[in-house]
Amino acid sequence: METSDYIYISGKREDKRVPSRVLEEIIHQQIKSGHRKLEVEAYGQHGIGGRLWDAGTDEIHIRVIGHSGQRTGSLGNANTKIEIMGPASDDIGWLNAGAEIIIHGNTSNGAMNGAAQGKVYVGGSMGARGMTMTKRNPRFEPPELWVLGSAGDYFGEFMAGGIAVICGHGFDAEERVLGHRPLVGMVGGKVFVRGSVKGFSQKDAKIVPLADEDWDWFLPNLESFLEKIKKPELLTSLSARSAWQILSAKSSQEKAEGSERPSMAWFRDQVWDKELGRGGLIGDLQETEKGTIPLIAKADLRRYVPIWEQGKYISPCQAACPTGIPTQDRWAMVRADNIDEAISMGLEHTPFPATVCGYLCPSPCMASCTRNLSTMSPIDVKLLGRSGKDINPPKPAKSSKKKIAVIGAGPGGISAAWHLTLQGHSTTLFETGKAIGGKISSVIPGSRIPMETLETELNRVRNFIPDIKLEQEINTKKFIKIKNEYDFTIVAAGAKKPRTLPIPGIETAVYASDFLESAKQNKMKPGKKVVIIGAGNVGCDVATEAHRLGARDLTLIDVQKPAAFGREKEDAQDCGAIFKWPVFTQEITPDGVLLQDGVLIPADTVVISIGDVPDLDFLGDELNIENGFVAVDKFGCTSDQRVFALGDTVGPGLITDAIGAGKRTARAIDQIIKGKSPDLGELLPMIDKDRIKLEYYDPVKQAEDLTQCGEDCASCGDCRDCGICVAVCPEAAIERRDLPGSGFEYIVDPDKCIGCGFCKGACPCGIWDLVPNTPI
Amino acid sequence: MSSNRSLEPSSLSLNDLPWQIQYNNDRCTLCGQCTAVCPVKAIELKVFRKRTIKTSIKKDAEHSNEYDTFYGIQQKTSVENACIGCAMCTLVCPNDAIRPVKNPGLDRMKFHINQKGVPRRRGGRRNASGSVLDRIKFTRISMLTDPALDAGRHEFEMRTLLGRVLSPRENMKRFREKGWIPPVREIYPMIIGGMSFGALSPTMWEGLQMGVAYLNEEMGMPVRICTGEGGCPPRLLRSRFLKYVILQIASGYFGWDEIIHAIPHMKEDPCAIEIKYGQGAKPGDGGLLMWHKVNKLIAAIRGVPQGVSLPSPPTHQTQYSIEESVAKMILSMSMAWGFRVPVYPKISASSTSLAVLNNLTRNDYASGLAIDGEDGGTGAAYSVSMDHMGHPIASCIRDNYLNLTKIGKQNEIPIFAGGGIGKNGNIAANAASLIMLGASGVQVGKYVMQAAAGCVGTEEDRCNVCNIGICPKGITSQDPRLYRRLDPEDVAQRIVDLFVSFDTELKKIVAPLGRSTSLPIGMSDALGIDDYAIAQRLNIKYVV
Repeated sequence: METSDYIYISGKREDKRVPSRVLEEIIHQQIKSGHRKLEVEAYGQHGIGGRLWDAGTDEIHIRVIGHSGQRTGSLGNANTKIEIMGPASDDIGWLNAGAEIIIHGNTSNGAMNGAAQGKVYVGGSMGARGMTMTKRNPRFEPPELWVLGSAGDYFGEFMAGGIAVICGHGFDAEERVLGHRPLVGMVGGKVFVRGSVKGFSQKDAKIVPLADEDWDWFLPNLESFLEKIKKPELLTSLSARSAWQILSAKSSQEKAEGSERPSMAWFRDQVWDKELGRGGLIGDLQETEKGTIPLIAKADLRRYVPIWEQGKYISPCQAACPTGIPTQDRWAMVRADNIDEAISMGLEHTPFPATVCGYLCPSPCMASCTRNLSTMSPIDVKLLGRSGKDINPPKPAKSSKKKIAVIGAGPGGISAAWHLTLQGHSTTLFETGKAIGGKISSVIPGSRIPMETLETELNRVRNFIPDIKLEQEINTKKFIKIKNEYDFTIVAAGAKKPRTLPIPGIETAVYASDFLESAKQNKMKPGKKVVIIGAGNVGCDVATEAHRLGARDLTLIDVQKPAAFGREKEDAQDCGAIFKWPVFTQEITPDGVLLQDGVLIPADTVVISIGDVPDLDFLGDELNIENGFVAVDKFGCTSDQRVFALGDTVGPGLITDAIGAGKRTARAIDQIIKGKSPDLGELLPMIDKDRIKLEYYDPVKQAEDLTQCGEDCASCGDCRDCGICVAVCPEAAIERRDLPGSGFEYIVDPDKCIGCGFCKGACPCGIWDLVPNTPI
Repeated sequence: MSSNRSLEPSSLSLNDLPWQIQYNNDRCTLCGQCTAVCPVKAIELKVFRKRTIKTSIKKDAEHSNEYDTFYGIQQKTSVENACIGCAMCTLVCPNDAIRPVKNPGLDRMKFHINQKGVPRRRGGRRNASGSVLDRIKFTRISMLTDPALDAGRHEFEMRTLLGRVLSPRENMKRFREKGWIPPVREIYPMIIGGMSFGALSPTMWEGLQMGVAYLNEEMGMPVRICTGEGGCPPRLLRSRFLKYVILQIASGYFGWDEIIHAIPHMKEDPCAIEIKYGQGAKPGDGGLLMWHKVNKLIAAIRGVPQGVSLPSPPTHQTQYSIEESVAKMILSMSMAWGFRVPVYPKISASSTSLAVLNNLTRNDYASGLAIDGEDGGTGAAYSVSMDHMGHPIASCIRDNYLNLTKIGKQNEIPIFAGGGIGKNGNIAANAASLIMLGASGVQVGKYVMQAAAGCVGTEEDRCNVCNIGICPKGITSQDPRLYRRLDPEDVAQRIVDLFVSFDTELKKIVAPLGRSTSLPIGMSDALGIDDYAIAQRLNIKYVV
């Protein structure tokens, strides 16, 4: 080794190790005094050869013999060249800014850590964390680290620039030459490696092909490296190009793509399903399909499906009508310009469309009209009823040769006889009085119905039911005779026996039915003051009639809140009638009605109007009686299978209740005659009123005539055929189709429908519903 | 409501509902997607009437009054159709015209939800966003005092032990004498907690299992998942994936005959057996799978009729005391797999948890104790149980761990903590807090539902209809029309994502403590909180 032109500096003075600070001062003094080549015998001093900027642009050569300490050449200057004649300690070339350092041996951890320029040539192997945090400043050449042997663990962590060459000399091709987990956090630079790179951070780095230009740069530099470390003879063995590979940093984009883990689809197919079997976890238990379904699905995958429920419900008006008249169907006919049929249809249900529907009925249909929910006026059914005055009955069915007796020609009896006649059965009406019509003609005041209307309808009944026997005395014997003579007998004798009160003076009072009957014939003279005990609708009729006949002080009393309602009550109030309740009658005196509290209500006439009960004496013991009424089942059948009963005979009710009972009983008998078991007909549920959209109608308009009524009827549960659903459907999934005849239907194309329910939301009549789809 | 309708006590207006639909008629294109997707039919197309009045003050002028109609979306006000705030309408709306908004005032519906005398039941969560765990800080940043570690480059052994670890002396003794040594599993410290096949949809369940298998086989992360009580599909029982699975047994014993049939055919032992005694979300109450969700598949796997509600009673019928119950159950389950599988009970956090723990310490066959705190989620529970019962997890875990240290067994019997971990999204911080308070690992459920499958539930009483099978994301539904919205592969991928990111975050927390080779279990000197009382109670530092 040539030492002649080098200044020797010892790291010891007087056998004592010189502190790193003092050695540093000595080196600097030597350089300041012009020396450019120094040989330092080191005893582990820190940072020898670094920071030698005193020489300006002159090259400084430092040769280190002995034991170099940590961070030799740290913060190294570009003109510094350091040669370590043996192994080197930690952090060789730390924060190197340009120094060239040659190590003739191994070096320990941290070589080139943080370096941005300069070159370090290691003639052996190196320890952990070499070439970590290295940089490259574009103004300078990149830092280089050449290692003849291998790198230790954690090589190249956070490497951001520079070139490292690991020659792997002395290692088998299979042996790892980059140690454990190299290149974690690498973002820049490149590494030439000869040997196995197994375990490098694939998250951060990648193997790239060694290009010609790389090789062109590499080969002369390799030769120069080997010369510097004085091992040129290795050139041949190290210059086999195929043994070399390059590792370089991944770009941020490549890192964002993640490491090249197998895709989940691959895993599912190749690992998961392979182990579990086709269809995966539950493929053995049910059919499974891969992939997802859309949030807005069609056909079978819809959660809800619309259904067009035409004919599934009856309207509230029909449901409320004791006679069961399908009023909404009639308004539909009006809308279809079929007014005549709409009117004449009434006679298929009642013999008294004008008298009862048009005048006497309190119209439960209108009370239940859906329009009431929005304080809109109900459709006036009375208009439709009154139009039926002059219509002709339908043609009866073919004669059945069955004979049926109806005892009592009141509304219930006539209704039963009417329907039985329509059905082709030979019907005989037995009536004790001189006229038919029962209470309609005998006791209901003329103010409530024009005589002409009543007579017209009664005449229609007389013409339609030829066999009407008036003034028939019916006693038990006669009843049994009739019962035996006819196939079926219907008892519709009404309730003609007034209820009475167990009070003194009752014999001086008049019963309401007697009062009304004689008032109707103008035979009653009630005087000025009338007290009516019992403030129901009949009591109101009494008051109205009494007023017509001259009475002025009209008092209706009751033990409870008066049951009167509707037209009857309004008429009585218009006549000045006063209602008093709760009051309790003590006795009837010649002066009037004395109450239990001592008050006397003066009266010229006292009328008892607390209801009527049937007079069933004529039945003998033939039928079961309960609480004073004939016991019947839902078809009106009594304890005798061939005897039916209805109307006030079986319980108090409205005229329309009796007419409805007549219709139902006739149907039951007809079915029995035809050998069927009787039923009440198709009892459809009433449509939910909330389904009807009243917003389509003018909320304040009052329909004036039949045409307007037809237009404004909400047609609850009965499709108006307006086509709004077709227009509203966002998927154009609904189509109207003609059916044979005049029918039609709306159908949904399941392949278009998304189950949004817009059809339901928009349907004026509540025909469309949205229901859960059939479970899969 | 119709203008002429009478009021009922439970007649509600929009103002009374917990969630209100904000709807913009001008933007709406009336496409029907919102009403089609709404899981509770809370919205519908409505016909509206519009009145236009034209007047003039000129004498004899003609005034007019016209009515017209228009269409729009309306929210229903009935209790059964009340909006649940899931915002699926918002998700599908092409025009951003609709969204549910939480009622800022008092939701009056809560007074009427008990129609027909049935108190409210729901799935989901406690609806309380506060969290002590969120407030705990890791105040020990070692840097130079301990070997400084870097989460980004250092290697960490993020593993914990599930199983009974004998004391070194006892272990050596048994080793020498060739005695029985309890089975111990080295697993990832975050376990996917028990959510049954039935509570979850088939797609969700398969996705979770697939994700766990991927983590194990492709990522080398030994993540484990508990079945919950609802049996286990026969194929899984006979696959190698069973080793990633903790089988749960509870008082309903659903699906256990299938498991018994499968035992002779098992390629692998399961990771462990969890005996469920309690659940944090509904302490003292049992499990419940409502009839809506018991379809053919669920019925088959559980061995029950279709369409019936399936309660797991709050108590096991044949067990009467801690001593007897725990000993008997643990022994039976251990025997089933020849004492090769760890067996541990899971209880709801309670002021009596210590009694259970003390009992377990005396029983060599007990492999650990899982404690589920009040913030645990559920598929179905009475609201009163969810909202008002239970014990917070932090102090319960702390008490139990400190008790173990008192008797010197803190390294012998692991405690696993569950309930509200990550309920506000801070999963790694919450998990690390519990570990440093003394848990050997954590069990998570709700976080998984949200992160892996997009559960829309929040602590604001949003959605929470897991119990009735109408989950709009298909997570807890047994209706193919809903659960096929969810792709198991996507769920599996999200499971991988969440565990990998959790792992990074957990390392970020433990690295500054200088821990890389073992979890900082019970390392409470690293914890601080800015509340003196809590600091005292948990025996951690008070920091301000």
